Amino acid sequence: MKRLLALIRREFWENKGAFRTTPLVIGGIYITFLLMSIFTTAHIDNDLYTFREGVRMMAEQPTATRGDILYQIMLGSSVFFTVVMSFVVFFYLLGALYDDRKDRSILFWKSLPASDTLTVASKLLAAMVLAPLAFLAVLIVTHLLMAIIASLMILSVDANPWSLFLSVANPVKAWGMIAVSWFAASIWALPLFGWLLLVSAFAPRVPLLFAVLPPLVLSILQIWIDFLRTFTLKNSMAGVIRDWFFNNPAILTAEVSDGKGKVALGVPLTGRFDHAVTLANIFDRLFSLQMLGGLLLAVLFLGGALWLRHRATDS
Amino acid sequence: MNPVISARGLSKRYGRTLAVDHIDLDIPPGRIVGLVGPNGAGKTTVLKAILGLATFEGDLSVLGKNPSRQRAALMEDVCFIADVAVLPRWIRVWQLIDLVERLHPRFSREKCLRYLAATKITRSQRVKQLSKGMVAQLHLAVVMAIDARLLVLDEPTLGLDILYRKRFYTNLLNDYFDAERTILITTHQVEEVEHILSDLLFIRDGKISLATSMEEVEQRYTEVMVKAENIEQARALSPIHERSAPFGKFTIFLFEGVDRERLRPLGELHAPRVADLFVATMEGGR
Repeated sequence: MKRLLALIRREFWENKGAFRTTPLVIGGIYITFLLMSIFTTAHIDNDLYTFREGVRMMAEQPTATRGDILYQIMLGSSVFFTVVMSFVVFFYLLGALYDDRKDRSILFWKSLPASDTLTVASKLLAAMVLAPLAFLAVLIVTHLLMAIIASLMILSVDANPWSLFLSVANPVKAWGMIAVSWFAASIWALPLFGWLLLVSAFAPRVPLLFAVLPPLVLSILQIWIDFLRTFTLKNSMAGVIRDWFFNNPAILTAEVSDGKGKVALGVPLTGRFDHAVTLANIFDRLFSLQMLGGLLLAVLFLGGALWLRHRATDS
Repeated sequence: MNPVISARGLSKRYGRTLAVDHIDLDIPPGRIVGLVGPNGAGKTTVLKAILGLATFEGDLSVLGKNPSRQRAALMEDVCFIADVAVLPRWIRVWQLIDLVERLHPRFSREKCLRYLAATKITRSQRVKQLSKGMVAQLHLAVVMAIDARLLVLDEPTLGLDILYRKRFYTNLLNDYFDAERTILITTHQVEEVEHILSDLLFIRDGKISLATSMEEVEQRYTEVMVKAENIEQARALSPIHERSAPFGKFTIFLFEGVDRERLRPLGELHAPRVADLFVATMEGGR
């Protein structure tokens, strides 16, 4: 356990740009946009009349409605973090078992008493646990800073931020939901993570190509054959990947329609799962047949990655 | 005493070629063994098998363990320095020390810091900011702070200048080596290590062509500086190698197992240098 933690910390040290700087930049973008919109408002809104009016109308809403709006905003603001985190994790895993083979430092890592299983586990856990924790930490700080800035703004028009929104907010519930959805998404993504580690352990060069090309070629072939035979696109590999993405337990949809905010798990375009953001719906995905199939695939890929890592040297 | 490394019929095949061809090997503890061979002779393959970095055929036991199946456990007692380029370039010195301390049960932080204090390396530097020589010093400091039983060095001083090379081996000999430890070295710069070696292993075309101790080398092999008029007599004693000395005044003959009293009349006698012995065994019998 001590060794595993040491190895996960190693991953953080090596990938500080991905796991620390990237979420900080996103947080910075949020804060910058908030400040920019405040300055714009202050500039064009004469004596902040419209803003006062907005605060007044907000205060007239029932407590439950205000709490719900805040909750939706907090969940919705996580989407950008989720998307960027996905890219970070994707490229992290692609290089995880490749970079040290390229720069020959694998000879050093393999001279340490850490087994290949432990090494692969540390990289998988860095993707599944370390990345969400790091992004969550920055997301929480960003939310707190935004709350402070909004409070100051509200104070400046002689309204009470505490009664207006601070007292009705339930940040722990929102953060908890985001955390659960992210960890669930990590499990949901296990077949992808396993595939990326396998490619990373295998690719002689340009792992991205090896990761993307086989499923792409296979999908195109399948779509073509399927289309020739039945004129449908039902069970193609591309369809499976699309369903996998749309049914992701992470909150990937945040939109405003008819003046109402709406967040959803994954992309609500398929009917197989309920996309409302609830714990029940998240766990419904994790205990589904699809997940079981994904896990089997993940075990296969990870086994392959481990086998390759065991045999890997610098050449 | 049990050998540190013991191999029987050790082989490694790359496609159709046998890179290592049924090697038998026993290395007892407390020795400094030089594994010497031309490029492509199979040195690195043998080392990789010993370190659990490559699969192999035949029996190989290192400190009683199978390196291919028990690499992680084996590495608690084995240290390894490949050439100077293998420390990860992104890591900072303090991170490296911290990591090895957490992973290695026999690592002593105090020792490592003591070795580093004698260098210009600072805690917050990254490996990529260090010169080649300093990276070698850092790696050696980390490895010498590990109480291991076998140290494997594969071209450890490649690309270093003469000062760093000398210091590397001096540190190794003075601060690290003792009767319990075994060191296995491969290098092309045989002249630099021959004074610290206790045993020699020559490898050629995947086979051990010579396995001997340095004392035995001195007893068995004699080099004679033969003047032109004695050359025929010298050849009659079946030397294993002959080469002309610089400026052509002498021809240097190398004899194996020939009585020194019979050689003395031919010219000046020397113990052969390892490099010359190496050339002789590689060229002879070709």
